[in-house]
Amino acid sequence: MTLAHYIALGAVLFVIGIFGALTRRSVIGILMSIELMFNAANINLAAFNRYLHPEGVAGQAFALFIMTVAAAEVVVGLALVLAIYRNWDKTYMENINLLKG
Amino acid sequence: MLNLALLKSEIVLGALALGLLAADLLLPEGRKRALYGLALLACGISLFLTGSALLPAPGVFGAGVPLPLPTGGGPAAALGAGVGTLWSVDPFSLFLKMVVLGSTVLALLLTMDDSSIPDSEAGSFSCLLLLSAVGMMLLVSATDLLLIFVSLELVSIASFILVGYERRNPKSNEGSLKYFIFGAFSSAVMAYGISLFYGATGATSLVAAKPQGAMALMGLLFILVGFGFKAAIAPMHFWVPDAYEGAPTPVTAYLSVAPKLAAMGALARLLTALVPAGSMDLTLLLSLLCGLTMTWGNLVALFQRNIKRLLAYSSIAQAGYIMMGIVTGDAMGLQGILIYSFVYVAMNIGAFALAVALAADRSDALDPYDLDSFDGLSSRSLPAALAMTLFLLSLAGIPPLAGFIGKFYLIGSAVGTAHYGLAIVAVLNSVVSVYYYMSVCYRMFFTAPRKGARVPRFGAGIYAAAALALAVTLFFGVFPHRLAVWAQFSAKFLP
Repeated sequence: MTLAHYIALGAVLFVIGIFGALTRRSVIGILMSIELMFNAANINLAAFNRYLHPEGVAGQAFALFIMTVAAAEVVVGLALVLAIYRNWDKTYMENINLLKG
Repeated sequence: MLNLALLKSEIVLGALALGLLAADLLLPEGRKRALYGLALLACGISLFLTGSALLPAPGVFGAGVPLPLPTGGGPAAALGAGVGTLWSVDPFSLFLKMVVLGSTVLALLLTMDDSSIPDSEAGSFSCLLLLSAVGMMLLVSATDLLLIFVSLELVSIASFILVGYERRNPKSNEGSLKYFIFGAFSSAVMAYGISLFYGATGATSLVAAKPQGAMALMGLLFILVGFGFKAAIAPMHFWVPDAYEGAPTPVTAYLSVAPKLAAMGALARLLTALVPAGSMDLTLLLSLLCGLTMTWGNLVALFQRNIKRLLAYSSIAQAGYIMMGIVTGDAMGLQGILIYSFVYVAMNIGAFALAVALAADRSDALDPYDLDSFDGLSSRSLPAALAMTLFLLSLAGIPPLAGFIGKFYLIGSAVGTAHYGLAIVAVLNSVVSVYYYMSVCYRMFFTAPRKGARVPRFGAGIYAAAALALAVTLFFGVFPHRLAVWAQFSAKFLP
């Protein structure tokens, strides 16, 4: 396992995440795709820390912050989905089109 | 060097915001409006702490005296860098903090009289508003990607909730959901960019960072996506109209100024002081984005029939004007950013205050924010029509008003640094914007009122906000000298 493996894994996850976020119909699916993108960043940070800059823990510490912040963000997102489900009875993006975008 | 005292205004505001939640539990139902007063008091305390760090320094009202920027301790110990290099409190950030706090005060005043936020929820609403203000204040001080990321998220998460605050209103739900998905997406892209930047430079600190190579450039571009989302720069602006239309109007007024200015301030620090845009060949890209932002915002604003959407697109264009200062990056451009931020808060929230006043009467079935509601306003309330006209003229940048001064500095700096194309685009855009601003004025003065339209009701809060905004718009338009000197003094970074 070299740095390249980890970076490639991160890049693949990131692209899968972007693809999912752009094509998923369900809000929950979009949320999961966005989590993948955050995790791609975390893998990158940890790998760079381990292989390129082993003198500190800045990268790993940053990964912890990202996890925490992403969790907080998802909490708000799920609360929104719940509110929308109560008002609209559906959570598919194409049905949520009251505003003209 | 653990000088947390530098952040006293943020710490006090954050603690008081949480205190509001506690006070919310203690107050009986029906007395909750008092919490708005407490929130205003908290803003006032924080404003005083911020102002007392900025204002007594030498050179504020005597032009030309350079400020000796301290590197630690020293006579003006209130200014300096804190905890390693995570943040730096310098005149630039203090000025923007005051602007953010000012817009928070105005937004709170509007909320007091807006019927979409019930009084029983005053505590949690103003707590969220203050917490997002804390995030913006940290953001303009941040010199490290860690603090930038965390404070940007603090602003975002609080704003998502604020936009969706009307839980039972489907429009509010939808605006909030779109805002959330775009926001989470762009912060994930930003996090990935930060990881690449860290890989290339070995640190998340931006002070003395020497990013080189393709990976650092890619990281920086991804980081720009995060900023671009918050500041609604053109390709990342799609959430703006829907989020602004769905949100409760005081929140719209707040979001259209404060996060935008905070993100622009942080971007200005990033791209002029820390990693100069010229050193990464980003100037052309930035000026293209800047021109696109102005043009797109103004052209689409021409076709809007809802005052919130119209002001949403106009605020995209205004962000484009402010971005000119970042593209040029010279002293005059930075002054322009500060001056324009200051007056933009007054004129934009002022315009929203009038919109809230007009929509306060929701008895008729029509959309209260349709442009129709401005028809014949001059015959119903001449002062309201005149005030709205002044705000719109100032947004368009007509000379005797404050908006002109800011635009003058920004366009002047574009000409001074030989960005002639950008200056021409900005001037043409100002001309285009006059059309849609004036069409609202035309409705107010030369159209018959729609059936059943009433005299707008000005509550104390709206009245205070509109009067304050009008005073700033008029005073600094006619006497710009003091503001210009103040901005000249403040346009300094402490790297």
